[in-house]
Amino acid sequence: MTGMTETFDELMAVYEGREGRGVVFQPRIKHWYDVNLAAGTLPKKYQGMYVDEVYQDLGVTPREVWGPGGAGSEFAGYLPLQTKEGDDVEVWVKQTHGLFYETEPHDYIITEYRTPVGTMRQIQRRTEYGTSLYNVEYYLKDLKDIEVYKYVLRERKYLWKRLRYSWGMKRYGDNLPLRVQLPRSPLMWLMVGTMGFQRTVIMLWRHRKEMEELIRLLEEEFEKMLEVCQGKAIIELSFGDNMHQDMCSPPYFKKYIIPFYQQLMPKIHAMEVYTTSHWDGFVKQLLPLVKETGLDGLECVTPLPQGDVTLEEMKEGMEGMFLRDGIPAVLFCPWIDLATLEEHVRKLLKLFYPRLILGVSDLLPANAEIERIRFVNKIVQEFNESL
Amino acid sequence: MEKKEELFKKIKDALVNFDVETIKKATLEAVQMGVEANEVVDVMSEGMEVVGKKYESGEYFVSELIIAGETMKEALAVLEPYMGGETANKLGTAVVATVAGDIHNIGKDIFVTLMTTAGFKVIDLGVDVPAERVLEAVKEHRPQILGLSALLTTNLEQFPIIVKKLKKEGLRDTVKVIIGGATITKEYAQATGVDGYAKTALTGVDICRRWIQGNRS
Repeated sequence: MTGMTETFDELMAVYEGREGRGVVFQPRIKHWYDVNLAAGTLPKKYQGMYVDEVYQDLGVTPREVWGPGGAGSEFAGYLPLQTKEGDDVEVWVKQTHGLFYETEPHDYIITEYRTPVGTMRQIQRRTEYGTSLYNVEYYLKDLKDIEVYKYVLRERKYLWKRLRYSWGMKRYGDNLPLRVQLPRSPLMWLMVGTMGFQRTVIMLWRHRKEMEELIRLLEEEFEKMLEVCQGKAIIELSFGDNMHQDMCSPPYFKKYIIPFYQQLMPKIHAMEVYTTSHWDGFVKQLLPLVKETGLDGLECVTPLPQGDVTLEEMKEGMEGMFLRDGIPAVLFCPWIDLATLEEHVRKLLKLFYPRLILGVSDLLPANAEIERIRFVNKIVQEFNESL
Repeated sequence: MEKKEELFKKIKDALVNFDVETIKKATLEAVQMGVEANEVVDVMSEGMEVVGKKYESGEYFVSELIIAGETMKEALAVLEPYMGGETANKLGTAVVATVAGDIHNIGKDIFVTLMTTAGFKVIDLGVDVPAERVLEAVKEHRPQILGLSALLTTNLEQFPIIVKKLKKEGLRDTVKVIIGGATITKEYAQATGVDGYAKTALTGVDICRRWIQGNRS
C-alpha cells in the first residue's frame, strides 16, 4: 500500500469519503532534509541523495511535485497560479545575501512594488541554513501603503502555469491527484503575510472601514483565480491559511472567514473540486465553527501535546470532513518515547480512517529522528493489512 | 469635578471596553485634581487584570489583549508629563526574548505587555536573539526574571545553551528562567534546567509574580 502506484486511488477515496484499500502516509520531510543537508548532519546513508530518493528509501510518498519550488516548499512545491502584475507596476527586488545557506545577520531580501500611487516595501530574512523566510518589515504599515496595495491588486492578473503543470503530470500525474495552492483567506493573508498580526488587529480597530474595503478587494482576487482554474484537471484547491485562534479569534472567524468561504465554496464545488485549509495553530475554539465554512478537509490540525485539541475533539469538530496529517511533529523528536508515538498513530488511524491522509503536523522537525518515519510506516502497513 | 473613586472606575471600565477617549479624559482629570500618576497606573493595572480574566474565561481573545494594550498606551501618554521620571517596575526587572532562529513574536509580545502592566520593568530583546546577546542583557540589566520563547522544535535547543552560558558566567542563581512556546512539554522543560514553563502568557506572568512575591515574603 505504500507504493506510488496505489496512492492515486487511495487519495481519491479519501476525497470522495469512501473506503479504499488503506491509508496513505505522506510525511513532509523536506525541511528535515534541507536543514540537515545545509548543516552537514544528514545521516550517512542519505548523504548524496536527492530528497525523493530518501522518500523511496523510507517507503513513503511525497505530497506534491508540481510547483516551482521555493524556500521551505515540499519537493518542487505546490502548484500555484502565476501572478502577472499590471503594466505600470514595477517589482524591484534586491537580495543582499550570497549563498542561501550561508546567510549573515545583515543579509536581507528587499522587495518594492513601485506604482503611480506610491511604493510599498517588504524586507525579509532567511532563517538559519536558508530553508525558510520571515518578514522583518511587512508591506502594509499604514493607510498609505494600503492605497498602493489596492492599486496593485486592481491591476493584477493570474495565469495558469502550463509548462510546470505538464511536467508534474508526466512525473507524478498517475500517482497524485493535482492539488493547487491558493493564498490564505484575506484576513489571514493580512495577519501572516502582508501586514503582520498585531498591526492587522490594531488597524481593524482604528481603521475598520479602510481595512474592510481592502478585505473585500482581496476576496475579489479569488474570483479571478477561480476563473483561471476553470476546466483544469484540479482535484483539490488548498488555502494556505495557517489558521490559529490566537490570531483569528472566533469573532474574527465568524465575521471574516466564514462569509469568505461560504461565498466561494458553491463556485468551487460546482467545478467538482475539493477544498482544504491549512490549520497549524491552536484551533480548539475554531473547530466547532469549521463546518460552517463548507470546506471538505483540513490539513495539519495539530493535536496535543503540541496543539490544543484531543483527537476526539478533532473528530467531533470535523465531522464529515477529511483530515490530512494529524501526528504532532514533536512526537518525532528524540525526547518523546516511541510508545507515545505508536499509541497516538494507532488511535489516529482508528478514529479517522477512511477520512485520513496520514502525515506530520506539519513538517518533520530538523532535529527529528528520521527512522521514526519508517516506524510509523510499519504501523500503517499493519493497519492496512488488517482491513 | 467627579470624585476620585468615580474617575478610577471610569478609567478601569474604559480600559476594559477599549474606550480611548474616555480613558484619556478621565486620566487627565485625575492627575489635574492632584492624584499621583502612580496611583492611576495602579488602576490601569487593575483594569488589565480584568482584561486578563476575561481572556482566561474565553470572553476575550489575544486581539482584545492587544487592543487593551493600545488603549493603555494612549492613557499612559496622557500621564507621561506627570510621571516625573517614575518607572513602573515595582515588581522587578525581566529580560525577554524569542531565541535564535525563531521569529515568532506574538506570544512573546503578549507576555511583555502583560508583564509591564503587572508592574515589571521589561527589557524586550526582540526575536531571533542569539544566546550571547541574552547573556549580555542579563549582565547589563541584572533582571530577576529571564523569559525565553521558541515555537519551533528546531530552536528548543537554545534553552539549554543559554542556561549553560548563565552557569558558566556565574549568573544562573541570580535569575529565574521561564520558557514558553507551543511545542514545549513539561518533561522537556524539566530536562532543560530552567525554573518554569508556561503554556500561555498569562500563566507565565502569574508564575513570575509568585516567584517575586515568594522571595519577598
